[in-house]
Amino acid sequence: MAVYKISYVVIGSDHPGGIVNSNERPQVGDQVKIGEQLFETIEVFELMPPRKDFHYIHVTCQPYNPI
Amino acid sequence: MLEEILRGVELFDGLTDDDLEQVASLCQEREIAPGELLVKEGDRGDELFIITNGFVEVLLETPRRVVVNLGRGQITGEMALVDGGPRSATLRAISEPTVVQVIHRSDFDNLCDSNTRLGYIVFRNLAADLSFKLRHRNLSER
Repeated sequence: MAVYKISYVVIGSDHPGGIVNSNERPQVGDQVKIGEQLFETIEVFELMPPRKDFHYIHVTCQPYNPI
Repeated sequence: MLEEILRGVELFDGLTDDDLEQVASLCQEREIAPGELLVKEGDRGDELFIITNGFVEVLLETPRRVVVNLGRGQITGEMALVDGGPRSATLRAISEPTVVQVIHRSDFDNLCDSNTRLGYIVFRNLAADLSFKLRHRNLSER
């Protein structure tokens, strides 16, 4: 089973971001909870080539502000 | 089953079912309330933590700031385990429920000494995890 190790970097906020494993590859537009706050994914790219079942992903996100 | 949870942790990637069973036998589960400290910066440390649920924030005391939030599948406390130095940061639970598996340094060392193949794999993965955290830090500071 694939494991996505994700580095979340937050822009537009002083939130420190996070590192979390997920069983699903993140997509632009996804909402993600880091700690107790909700963010919207705006960029996704592979940080390093996968190793066996592990995929290394970078996500840039911003505070989620529903219209 | 704990072995299945450990299989999703990069630190244990490449271990056999028997290896994972040995690692699982060393783990002690601990539940932490939001706001509760797991470790305090400067304290002596002899435990490694594997976050299996919730989030832990990594907090530097001077100047006081949170540097990262670590969630499911992440390890923390590994620096004191590797270099024997004091805790480099404070760790605090920030969500409910936050659950960690705790491995004591002496148990970890004994397992790696008695099973050097396992020890090689785990320490290679530990290096990869530290590298990933450094890449995250670099991206955060762009």
